[in-house]
Amino acid sequence: MDLHLEPRHLAFRDEARAWLKANLSRPWRESLRDPAATEDGLMALRRRFQNTLHAAGYLGMDWPTAWGGRGATEVEKAILEAELAAADAPPILNSLGISLLGPALIHHASEAQRRRFLPPMLAAEEIWCQGFSEPGAGSDLAALKTSAVLDGDHFVVNGQKVWTTFGPWADWIFTLVRTDPKDRYGGISFLLIKLDTPGVTVRPLRQITGENEFGEVFFEDARVPKENLVGQVGEGWRIAMTVLMYERGAASLGHAERFGRDVLRLAAALQGNGRLTGAAREKVARALVENEVMRANGIRTLANFASGKVPGAESSIEKIFWSEFDRRFRETALDLLGPGGQLLRTSPGAASDVDWAREFLWARAGTIYAGSSEVQRNIVSKRVLGLPQA
Amino acid sequence: MQFDLSDDQQLLRQSTRDFLAAEAPVEKTRRAMEDDPRGIEESLWRQVAEMGYVGLLLPAGVGGQGLGALELAVVLEEAGRVCLPGPLLDVVLAASVLAEAGGQEALLREVAAGTARVVIAREDAAFAGEAPTRTMLAGGRVKGTKHFVPFAASADALVVTTPDGPCLVRGPFPVTPTPTLDHAQRFATVTLDQPATRLGGPALLEPADRLAAVGAGAMLLGLMTKAFEMSHAYVQTREAFKRPIGTFQVIQHRLADMLMRVESTRSAVYRAAWCVDAGDEATALACASAKAYAGDAGRFVCGEAIQVHGGIGFTWELDLHWYFKRTKTLEQHYGSTEERLEAALAAVGY
Repeated sequence: MDLHLEPRHLAFRDEARAWLKANLSRPWRESLRDPAATEDGLMALRRRFQNTLHAAGYLGMDWPTAWGGRGATEVEKAILEAELAAADAPPILNSLGISLLGPALIHHASEAQRRRFLPPMLAAEEIWCQGFSEPGAGSDLAALKTSAVLDGDHFVVNGQKVWTTFGPWADWIFTLVRTDPKDRYGGISFLLIKLDTPGVTVRPLRQITGENEFGEVFFEDARVPKENLVGQVGEGWRIAMTVLMYERGAASLGHAERFGRDVLRLAAALQGNGRLTGAAREKVARALVENEVMRANGIRTLANFASGKVPGAESSIEKIFWSEFDRRFRETALDLLGPGGQLLRTSPGAASDVDWAREFLWARAGTIYAGSSEVQRNIVSKRVLGLPQA
Repeated sequence: MQFDLSDDQQLLRQSTRDFLAAEAPVEKTRRAMEDDPRGIEESLWRQVAEMGYVGLLLPAGVGGQGLGALELAVVLEEAGRVCLPGPLLDVVLAASVLAEAGGQEALLREVAAGTARVVIAREDAAFAGEAPTRTMLAGGRVKGTKHFVPFAASADALVVTTPDGPCLVRGPFPVTPTPTLDHAQRFATVTLDQPATRLGGPALLEPADRLAAVGAGAMLLGLMTKAFEMSHAYVQTREAFKRPIGTFQVIQHRLADMLMRVESTRSAVYRAAWCVDAGDEATALACASAKAYAGDAGRFVCGEAIQVHGGIGFTWELDLHWYFKRTKTLEQHYGSTEERLEAALAAVGY
């Protein structure tokens, strides 16, 4: 066992840390708190930051250099994510495209499709959203019904996608569509659809936080060129599984930076009011301990990556841990802060360091997206424990 | 960078597992846990010493193996898997204090050989919030009362904590057994008024405190791993409503929650052990977190194991109760959860 970063990884971490120090003008939470901030303005800021990252070679970490990526490994990718979290950098605008669609295209798309789609994705010239979930297909993704019927050189698409993160700001959507209603898995295909195609309507959906980060997308006889099909007809499910594999990674490290910083801020706030005593003290200490255990999970995954091991279904355990800890911690924070913890960030008197109210609400998302806690437990019981599924 | 154990450490794990499976399965140790006043058969203790486990951390000069916290974690995890009775961790910790202090080579040689036992007496109160007793060292004598001294009746010497630092006390000393819910334990209250040798200042106990976090954390890991494995096997054979109960999602999700805690404990304990050996700056927080988390996780996992076993899980006959009870002992000793939570806060400046 050796949990020291290797010299080249240490050098990369130091280089990334120094770069962030020099190039990140202010922490994301301060941009969010700016009274002049608008949703469009924040999107523009994220677009600029993505371009800055791209120019410096910190985007598409695991993409081959031939496609504008860094050609690095999961180790550098996880290190960078932890450094971005520690520096409180703005979230990467095109993150769904870069982290999910990019690898799928690199592995499954034609040369022409890669040339067409990858460069503008990295440059934030085309923003992507993910069209997997439907009103009737969430955890049971293969129940999706949005249909694509070949008609000459086009697929005619009908149906609806929902919970489409970045939908309102996106230019393109990568979708799973049904090309054969009789074949549950083999009847699914992977199709790229431009959102200004006639017959496509994007409606923003207001989230629990009040923001419109996600939306719903309707397709009514939308004609999509058949060259936008990735892989062959019927390969969609297999490609989607590759995509979802890239949602894994040593995410716990970045979360440990982000949540850990907030645990210390909670401790400082309570200490300032003479309240870091008794039950409050124990709750903060438990959050600190859980955060450290989450960090240990992340270090273990990182070390496994570094020694050439690919994480399997055990990454589900990490996902359950961090998302459920996030929820517990944010609830604890609001309990301990009192009514002031519920103040909106724009409200007089709101805490200047953490947007506790938004974090409390936002924590409800983590146990639902990217495979709900229930789905993750099913994955653990099936693939790790080998228990028969009903 | 790698999380896997080295080849030597994996060999140690395998040889320890083989040895304990042959010599110390619960069906063989059960009688000693129930009746033997020493808590473990003398012959087994000698074998444990011969295998090098008692002297694991001690220098070769006194018959030890000169190994580190990672190896301690490996051995204690395996000890946890069989719910090994007796004072292995207690003696390892006390010996580490003596080795740190220096000048105790003769005693340490006997300890490593399994012919003498020394344990730490540290508890100044039996109940939370009770006014602590004051064990004082003055004029070469130690006076006071220590609670929950592990396996005190069979100890040849004690490392007794005092405000001025730990001191060494040779037996005999008056011992009042205080049985607890964990029938395998042999706790006692020790009343002291006798000659003692000061070993050093309070800081002398700090390395042992870190090793206690790793050792107890690892033993908890072994206990909960075994309880989890028993449950995993049981739910696939036990039938209800004409099917194995492991086919029910409500049972599957319980097992998933157990596994999450087992594996998270593994990450935390081995990281803490590595930090101790590497002298990493995160050592204090990593040790405090690993022990605090392992205590909660152990109670949860062993408790859930009882639940999925149903009525049989509540019997004396099934081995599970030994595991459930030992996790409770480990949770409240070797730096209780409360103490470890405070240590975690202290490590980040609160």
